[in-house]
Amino acid sequence: MNSFIKLGALAVEEVKELSTGGWAAENAWIMLVLPFVSALAILALGKRKKLWGSRIAIGMMSYVFLHGGWLWYLSITQGVVYEKAVSIGDVGQNFHLEWGWVVDGLSSMMYFVVGTVALLVFIYASSYMKGEKRYAGFFASLSLFAGAMLVLVASPNIVQLIVGWELVGVASYLLIGHYWENKENSSAGMKAFLVNKVADVGLIIGAIMVAVGAGSFRITEILHAAEEGTAGMTKVAVAGAGLLFIGAMGKSAQFPLHVWLPDAMAGPTPVSALMHAATMVTAGVYLLARFFPLYEGLGEPVRVYIMWIGAITLLLTGLLALVQTDLKKVLAYSTLSQLGYMVTAMGAGAYTAGIFHLFTHAFFKALLFLAAGSVIHAVHSNDMTDMGGIRKFMPTTYKTFLIGSIALAGLPPLAGFFSKDEILVGIDIANVTGNQFVLWTAIAGAFITPLYMTRAIALTFFGSYKGHGEPHEAPKTMTIPLVVLAALSVVAGWVNIPGVYTGFATWTAQRAEEMDLHHAESFDYALLTAGVVAALLGVVVGWRLWGKDAETQEARDTFEIPVLYPLLRNKYYLDDFYLWLVGLIKGPLARFVDWVNSYVIDTIVNAIGAMMVGLGGIVYTVLDQKGIDLFMNGLAGLAGGSGGKLRLLQTGRVQQYAGAFVLGAVVLVIAFVAIG
Amino acid sequence: MDLWTNGAGLSLMVALPVVGAVILGFMPKKGEEAIKWIGLLTSLLVLGLTVAAAFVFDYDHSEVFQLGTNRPWITALNSSYEIGIDGISLPMMVLSALVTVLAIIYSWNHWEEPKNPKAFLILILLLEAGMIGTFVALDLILFFIFFEVVLLPMYFMIGIWGDKSERTIPVFNKVVENRLYASLKFFVFTLFGSAFMLLGFLALYFNSDPRTFSIPGLIDQAPALAALPFAGLIFAGLFLGFAVKVPMWPLHTWLPDAHTAAPTVGSVLLAAILLKLGTYGFIRIAIPILPEAAKDFAPLIAVLAVIGIIYGSLACLAQTDMKRLIAFSSVGHMGFVMLGISTLSEVGINAAVIGMVAHGVITGMLFFLAGSMSHRYHTRDMARLGGNLVLMPKLGWILSFTAMASLGLPGLAGFWGEFMALLSAFDPQAGLPVGLFRVALVVGAVGTVLTAGYLLWMLQKTNLGEPSEEWADSNFPDADKYELTAWIPLLILTVVIGVYPKIVFGASEGAVSALIEKAFGG
Amino acid sequence: MTYSIDYAALAPEIILAITVMGVLTVDVLVPRRLKYWSAVVALGGMLLSAAAILMLFLDGSGASMFDGSYVVDNFSLTFKALFLAAGYVVLLMSVGYIESDRYYQGEYYFLLVSSILGSLVMSSARGFIVMFIGLELVTAPLFMLAGWRKGDKRSNEAALKYFLLGVLSAAILGWGMSFVFGLTGEVRFDAVAQGMAQAIGDSATRPAAIVAILFVIAGFGFKISAVPFHFWAPDTYEGAPTPVTAYLAVSSKAAGFVGLIVVVYRAFGAVGEIWGPALWLMAAVSMTVGNLTALNQKNIIRMLAYSSVAQGGFMLVPFAAAAASDGAIAPAAVSATVVYLAIYLFMNLGAFAFILAASKHTKSGDIESYAGLSTRAPGLAVLGVVFFFSLAGIPPLAGWFAKFVMFSTAIGAKNTWGWTLGVIAAVNAVIAFYYYARVVKAMWFDAASSEVESEAVVGGSLKLALALCTVAVFVLGVLPGLASTIGDTAAQLLGG
Repeated sequence: MNSFIKLGALAVEEVKELSTGGWAAENAWIMLVLPFVSALAILALGKRKKLWGSRIAIGMMSYVFLHGGWLWYLSITQGVVYEKAVSIGDVGQNFHLEWGWVVDGLSSMMYFVVGTVALLVFIYASSYMKGEKRYAGFFASLSLFAGAMLVLVASPNIVQLIVGWELVGVASYLLIGHYWENKENSSAGMKAFLVNKVADVGLIIGAIMVAVGAGSFRITEILHAAEEGTAGMTKVAVAGAGLLFIGAMGKSAQFPLHVWLPDAMAGPTPVSALMHAATMVTAGVYLLARFFPLYEGLGEPVRVYIMWIGAITLLLTGLLALVQTDLKKVLAYSTLSQLGYMVTAMGAGAYTAGIFHLFTHAFFKALLFLAAGSVIHAVHSNDMTDMGGIRKFMPTTYKTFLIGSIALAGLPPLAGFFSKDEILVGIDIANVTGNQFVLWTAIAGAFITPLYMTRAIALTFFGSYKGHGEPHEAPKTMTIPLVVLAALSVVAGWVNIPGVYTGFATWTAQRAEEMDLHHAESFDYALLTAGVVAALLGVVVGWRLWGKDAETQEARDTFEIPVLYPLLRNKYYLDDFYLWLVGLIKGPLARFVDWVNSYVIDTIVNAIGAMMVGLGGIVYTVLDQKGIDLFMNGLAGLAGGSGGKLRLLQTGRVQQYAGAFVLGAVVLVIAFVAIG
Repeated sequence: MDLWTNGAGLSLMVALPVVGAVILGFMPKKGEEAIKWIGLLTSLLVLGLTVAAAFVFDYDHSEVFQLGTNRPWITALNSSYEIGIDGISLPMMVLSALVTVLAIIYSWNHWEEPKNPKAFLILILLLEAGMIGTFVALDLILFFIFFEVVLLPMYFMIGIWGDKSERTIPVFNKVVENRLYASLKFFVFTLFGSAFMLLGFLALYFNSDPRTFSIPGLIDQAPALAALPFAGLIFAGLFLGFAVKVPMWPLHTWLPDAHTAAPTVGSVLLAAILLKLGTYGFIRIAIPILPEAAKDFAPLIAVLAVIGIIYGSLACLAQTDMKRLIAFSSVGHMGFVMLGISTLSEVGINAAVIGMVAHGVITGMLFFLAGSMSHRYHTRDMARLGGNLVLMPKLGWILSFTAMASLGLPGLAGFWGEFMALLSAFDPQAGLPVGLFRVALVVGAVGTVLTAGYLLWMLQKTNLGEPSEEWADSNFPDADKYELTAWIPLLILTVVIGVYPKIVFGASEGAVSALIEKAFGG
Repeated sequence: MTYSIDYAALAPEIILAITVMGVLTVDVLVPRRLKYWSAVVALGGMLLSAAAILMLFLDGSGASMFDGSYVVDNFSLTFKALFLAAGYVVLLMSVGYIESDRYYQGEYYFLLVSSILGSLVMSSARGFIVMFIGLELVTAPLFMLAGWRKGDKRSNEAALKYFLLGVLSAAILGWGMSFVFGLTGEVRFDAVAQGMAQAIGDSATRPAAIVAILFVIAGFGFKISAVPFHFWAPDTYEGAPTPVTAYLAVSSKAAGFVGLIVVVYRAFGAVGEIWGPALWLMAAVSMTVGNLTALNQKNIIRMLAYSSVAQGGFMLVPFAAAAASDGAIAPAAVSATVVYLAIYLFMNLGAFAFILAASKHTKSGDIESYAGLSTRAPGLAVLGVVFFFSLAGIPPLAGWFAKFVMFSTAIGAKNTWGWTLGVIAAVNAVIAFYYYARVVKAMWFDAASSEVESEAVVGGSLKLALALCTVAVFVLGVLPGLASTIGDTAAQLLGG
């Protein structure tokens, strides 16, 4: 059995099974494959059966939801830690390429989040996208999007992680540019893809470093090597971990690589919801969580940067949210700011806090986007200056949006409160330089968050309606997901209440690797109050600033601080800088290279050719034709005097030839006699 | 199975196309259908043989040359008709046969001026013989002959069916027809390279003891040959021959011209197979026979490779001609292959092998698409294109997919070559300047961004947006059944290799590790 | 000392001599419309002579006459065979051509066959006297043949030039030979060999010896039209009737090489340090000048003239290499030259036959006039590709192997001289492709320049000639073993 068939034979191998997974864990691959199958199926049915697009997608996603949920339930109840891999080729002794899946606390939590949010978004989208272009194709892309994220989350090895990582990117490219007839949209898609690609340079090199360092692609073995501090690993650990983080900065849109996310709003709202809640931006945080033992082992070096980058992001992007007039952009920047929290937490070493916030944020951010979507759907505009007073027309939407905002603002007892508090504590007890300063930044952030949310609510739902037509409440298919998410936004936080019940921490700590996660055992009341006070302050100030404006029906920003305001309006001029850079590469640099190609290298090539031909011409005319005349006539005599008589021939110059002949001989002779 | 003893099968693969070509030669020009069918059947027969070979091939000993034979040929020069395949040549061999078939299918109703299917098919078949011959040859002279044989058909393809439009040669301000300039440039460049390659071969022969042209024989003598004072010089000769073919910067300038001028099928075969003859030469001949010299040259090769990556990508960004852009992309992609080779490591060579296959499949596909588009729009100027997705959804989406594959999207064929090449650059063969290779790794990684950049840019220019009023109300036929038949195998292959690279690694790994083991003691 | 004559061993020459007479008699006897019979006789005679050669091969016991200055061995037999083959093809080419302008058919064949006879004599010559006789017998008839087209001024001019320079070269050759005789008192090469060795060794006689050697080489240099003794070639080639040109470019060149091989390796075998560098230089210069000059030729015959100069340069490479390796690879070198000659013979004759056939379409010798030949006469155009790309050395056409063995001697010399010459040759091979490709380009890539649609018919004999050459080019290209066998047989000259 050496023949070709053997290449086809899948070699499945048990990698790790700390505690039995049962059927669900052993067949988790179904969950990873199904989305791609459904994407293909949808494309196959394509135009003819539009509606099937959403049906198939929703059906598939419900399965994922059930399977994922079941898996999380299992891991919660039985603490499943399970890993399996299928060999897809070996390269060298160390490097085995594999597809596989991990079922442990972290991944199954992600399965659950992705499953839940995606399912709700799909249902929502099925009516939101009605009558839109490429309805079926849209759901194919959505399935791909979700599938890619699941592949990423499930990856037991770093190669598969990269695969999922980039597939997520490409799916986002398709979805952001869904209305590609319009150049802004396709450009936004390109921007997202390219910024991520830039970050991926870091990811790929980092991955290569740690893989070579550990002599394996397997994440468990990489982390093991890191914990053991093997020689190969310690050499590359710092650089590798740092580079991996750059990758994370791209996906999780950390400053200064955040610029793609706001533009990504060009995509239909459900996409934004999915992207911001579950399937894309969380990838970076997930990466940090997955490699947490590596970073933790390093102590200071890399983590301090992570913490600071996160802090900077949460503050600067939070401020940007204050000046947006596009409702979705407000939410987008708020996402950035929240991601900043998660990353800071990871940097600070607060594993639980980080993913806990990821967990809660997924629900209330999805909720906010979907609610915003239903508003936008109703008023046919993203711009808050076209809104106002919506609460009267769309009560459900309004209520749910409000819940989401409170959760986001971090007010008890909603989800955001617990996770954000956890983060503050995490930062406080972190053993990383400057954590106190970062702590205050985070608290400042806690003040800014409700500030911009209040502004958004005031401008959207209060005051009088400034748009055209009569907005109506969205259909059930859209409101039900809102309600469900609202419910989750309320309760999601209760799975991890310091001192009361910290299940979440223990569940997500169930992994192949040992980790000491310093998370809050009990409330730190000082911080708690600080956070809540900041939040409340934010609400109050926000209302003072915009609430009355909303009443007086002038939706405008009441503060126009000379320097800060223009700076914010222009997004710190980062985009302009990047545009300049890209222009430089695409313009002068590229043209220069092309110039070199056709004016330098090719010219040399052509010149050689021309030279040869030219030389030929010279040799022919000078040496073979005229030249002879010059010095041969004398020698012509030697050629037997016949030269004279030959003049009667017009052409030919026999005498010269003869002369040349003799000269040739004579020259040779003289030369050789001289030498000899 | 008698077909596979004493090299009958492999010999048939080379002989059949020639026979087919001769038969076609005697066919009356009138019977176009018959001519096409004979051409197709011949190529299908060859493909069948190669696939059969893939099935009887022993993957447990992929480092052993199999299914071959060794018969005296030019006894005076101890050069023999020695053929056989190992895990490295097998994939390339199958790919050659496959692409030929697809090329013929595609041509079925896409004849570029001046039509004449008879002559064109004869050339394709001769080309196939040359390509497969190069991959099965295990004797330097034999290799050289096949290596050269491919030139003629391609020369005529470009010259006769090529782009009739004119171009002014910069600086010289001479106006020439693209096809004439390109065909001559292509031929002279390659001939120049292979002339020195031949000198290298002869030098190997005269310094081997016992004198032999047999590649395995010379590999066994590698240690002795390494001792030669001018081993570096010999390698330089081989390097010239192969580097021109790859092509490596700065010997690449024939490529964009040849590709742009060549008829669609010509470009496809050129990109899919002919370029690989160069890289294959490095893997099969240059490195295993002169490992020490290879080590001395490796840094240079690596540097040229990454220059090629960046240079090619940047040049792409400056192109307005879609086909020329794709042509330049080859410079970049082959740069990754060469980077892998330059590391002289197991991972690197494997990366090169799968990179070769992937580039063959994907870039071949891109050229098909570019051809079909210019076949409809009658222009390749991207400034005038746009909204292709609206006008021809099928073709447009296939283009998008292929572009994604070309930018090395994980999960598709292109990824493995790039990623593995970079991986190998981090940890090259012992004794190579690690620092330099790691710089190369970073530069190469940056190259992937540029690659994504120009491909997405191309998509935006050609595929996305609304069609310009020039085409707004023109209803082009979408991809027809011939095109789809020719393309779908490649698309499937792109996914299959992407999801299950073992289909290539399974064959190459054993051969490569043995090769490296032998050359560098692992 | 025996002067007994082995008539059996001389059979080929004798048969040819008879044929010569036969041709004349037929010419006198038959009426004008049957003149082509003289051609038939000539061809028949050559076949017979060829048969005789075959016999002698199979018999294998060669012979040595006139005190060893006339030898029948594998070397001479090989060359005789080649000369007959070449002559046969040239005759085939001639038939139609000579018939077309109706006068002096008999004489034409008479002269041609005599020249061939001369080349046979040369191949057996192992002494200066016989060699000289043979050489003149080869050359003299060509003086007349070159001017065959009396009406054509260019033809006359060609003849005159060829004559004058031919005489001059003969003079120089004779001069050199007399020097040798003066120095060694010998004319037989074997005897000359030691003599020359001493002469070179002795500082008193050294300069004279050098002069002798170089003048002899110069004399042959004319026959092989090596730079700087090539000036006659282009004009004469262009002026002479095409079949004669073919003969000049192939057989007459080959004759020159026979002489060079025998003289250099046998008579001057011991003094390689003198002629080696000289021939190295001649090779390098001939290749380069020939190729570069050919680049700019508008007329296809002139182009071939210069290309044949270059090809001559390639054929000289093995000599230089042999000398550079102190004779270590002498047998290989001889073999290489012979292989090159054998292959060159067919591909160049093929090229001329092609031109002859194409001229009916092109009506002109300008390369431009070949435009669109592929549409007017595809079959012929294919043959054109075969011969010109064979000359360019593209596999699998025989030319590649000729170049290959040439390179292999250069590299086989295993020293800087060899390497350098190899590189020069390599670069030249690339340059050469450029002008050969120009013809192919014209035939295949350029559109026909509208004018007259000619339905020219290619004569049967010419067809046969083309066929022979084509088959040879393919067979020798794919099974080069045959070619190298020929070469090795000839190389036994040195084996003893």
